[in-house]
Amino acid sequence: MNAVSARTALARRPTFVWRALLALGLFFAAALVFPFLPLGDHREFLLQIGFFTLVAGIMALSWDLLARSGQVSLAHAAFYGLGAYGYALMLKAGLPWGAAMPLAALISGLISLLLGTVTMRLSGMYFAIATLAFTEVVRTVIQNLPESVAGGANGLLVPALLGGNSRGQYLLALVLLLLTVGVSLTVRLGRLHHAFAAIRQGEETARVLGVSVVRYKLAAFFLSSVLAALAGVLYAGKTFFISPLDTFSLANSISPLTTSIFGGLYTTLGPILGATVLRVAEELLHNTVKNGYLVVYGLVLMLSILWLPRGIVGLWRRGRHGGDL
Amino acid sequence: MDLFLQTLLNGLLQSGIYALVASGLALSVGVVGIVNFAHGEFLMIGAFLAWAASASLGLDPLLSLPVVALAVFGVGALTYRVSIRHVLLAPELNQMLLTFGLGILLQNLALMLLGGNTRTVSTSYQASSLHLGDLTVGGPKAVAFGFAVLLLGALYFVLYRTSLGRQMRAVAQNRRGAQLIGINVDRMYLLAFGVSCGLAAVAGVLVSVLLFASPTVGLVFALKAFAIIVMAGLGNLTGVLWASVLLGLAEALVQTYVPGGGGWSDAVFFLMIFITLILRSFRGAR
Repeated sequence: MNAVSARTALARRPTFVWRALLALGLFFAAALVFPFLPLGDHREFLLQIGFFTLVAGIMALSWDLLARSGQVSLAHAAFYGLGAYGYALMLKAGLPWGAAMPLAALISGLISLLLGTVTMRLSGMYFAIATLAFTEVVRTVIQNLPESVAGGANGLLVPALLGGNSRGQYLLALVLLLLTVGVSLTVRLGRLHHAFAAIRQGEETARVLGVSVVRYKLAAFFLSSVLAALAGVLYAGKTFFISPLDTFSLANSISPLTTSIFGGLYTTLGPILGATVLRVAEELLHNTVKNGYLVVYGLVLMLSILWLPRGIVGLWRRGRHGGDL
Repeated sequence: MDLFLQTLLNGLLQSGIYALVASGLALSVGVVGIVNFAHGEFLMIGAFLAWAASASLGLDPLLSLPVVALAVFGVGALTYRVSIRHVLLAPELNQMLLTFGLGILLQNLALMLLGGNTRTVSTSYQASSLHLGDLTVGGPKAVAFGFAVLLLGALYFVLYRTSLGRQMRAVAQNRRGAQLIGINVDRMYLLAFGVSCGLAAVAGVLVSVLLFASPTVGLVFALKAFAIIVMAGLGNLTGVLWASVLLGLAEALVQTYVPGGGGWSDAVFFLMIFITLILRSFRGAR
C-alpha cells in the first residue's frame, strides 16, 4: 500500500467505525429483545439455542483476540475446560457462584500465562501443534486423576446457573459477550491493536521497532483465555454436567477458529456474526438433515476458505484495506 | 528381563504403522508444504475399503491392499486438484482450516453412511502367533509390521534412488529452484499428495486387521503422526523413522510399567511432543 491509499484508508476509517458500531448495536439490541418475545411452545429450546450462540460468540471472539497477535491456538478447549472445571470444583468446595466465576477465569488466565511463556518462541504450525498437545495433556491429567478429585472420566455434576432460570442465564451470557466485545473494541481502538498487528505481521520487525513482544503476546493470551474460561463457566452451569471428553474435545478448539474465519478474521463483528449464522444453520440442518449436519458444516468451511477467505464481513468491504473494526 | 524385551518388541512392532502414517504426512508437509489435518481420514477410508472388500468379496485385506492404495491415491490426487491447489499461496491458517473442513466432511460422511459402529475384519491368521525364544508376537502384528517395513523400504528407495524421488526432494528443498531447472512442480505436488494419502490408506488397511474400522479410527493415528513429524522436524523424511520407533517404544514402556498405564500413555505422548517443541524452540531451531 502506498502513502496515498494509506491516507484515504485512514480518512475512510471514521465512517467504518460508526458502521461497525451500528451493526454491533443492532446485534445487541436484537439479542436483548429476543428473550422477552412471546416465543410460544419452543421457548426453552429457543432460549437454549440463543444461549449457546452467545457462548459460541464469546469463544470465537476471544480466540480471535489471541489470533490478532499472530498466535493461532488450538488450546481454546483447554481454557474453556479449565474454566468449567475450576468453577465446578470451587462450587463443590462451597464458594458462591459469584465468586467462583471470576476466580475460575482468573486461574485459567494465570495458567495461560505459563503456556504463553513456554510457547513464546513457537510460530505457525509448531505453535498450533504445541497448544493442541497442551490441551490433550490437561484432558488426560483430569481424566486420570482419582475420581474424588475431579470426577475422572465419569465427569462432574454442576449446580444449575441462576437456579436454572433460562432467561436469566441467557442475559448473563449476553452480559459476558458484551464484556468480550468491550475488550475487543478496547484492544482494536487502542495501542494494543498496533502492537498485535505488528507482531502478527513480522515479529522480528516489531521487536526491532521497540514493541515489547513478550509482554503483548502474554497480554493477548491472558485476555483470550480469561474470556474463554468464562464461556466454559457458562457451559458448565447450563448443562449441569461436565466430562473431560466433552469439555476438552478438539471440536471446542476448532469451532472458535472456524467461526472466526467464517465471520471475518481480526474483526469484532465477524466472529459474532459467524457464531450466529453457523449456530442457527447448525440447528436448522440438525432438524432437516439429522446426522448430516456436520457434513454440510465441513463443506461450508471448505467452500468459505476457497471462495470467501475474508469471511462474511469481507462481503461488503471488498477491495478496501484497513479500517476494519 | 523377558517382560522388558517383550515390551520393546511390542513397541517396535507398533512403530511400523506409526512410521507409515507419519511418512505420508511428512511427504505432504515436506513436499507440498500443507499440514494435512485430514490425514487420519484417509487412513479411515483405507480401513473401510479393506473392510468392504473383505465383507463383500471375501478378499483378505492384505490382498486388497494394492487396490485400496491406488484408489485412495486417486482420491488424494482429486482432493489436491479441486481444493489444496487453490490455497498453496494462501496464509497458513487458511490451509489448516481447509484440511480441517475436509476432515470434518469425510469423517461425518462415513458416520452418516456407515454409522458409528466399529467393524472388524476377520482373517485366517487372526489368532495365530509366532514364538521367538521366550517372546511371543501376534500373527497379524508381525504381518503388518512386515508390510510396513517393505513399503517404507520401497518409499525411501523411490525417494533417494530414482529420478522421480530426486525431483520430489528438489521441490521440497526449493520450490522456485526446482521450477527453474524444469521440474513440473504442480505435478510433483499432485503425486506427493496422492502418495501421502495412499500411504495413510495402506496404514488404514493394516489398522483394519489389527484393530477395527470406524469413522473416528483415524484421529488417534493422525495425532500421533503429527507428534512424530514434529519430533523429526516438519518435513524431515528420514527423521520420521527413528521418531516413530522412539514413540512406539516409549508408549509400550509406559503401558507396561506405569500403573494404570493405558490411560496415561496418551498424556506421556503429548507431553513428549510438547517438550520436544519447546526445547527445539529454545535451541533456536524452528
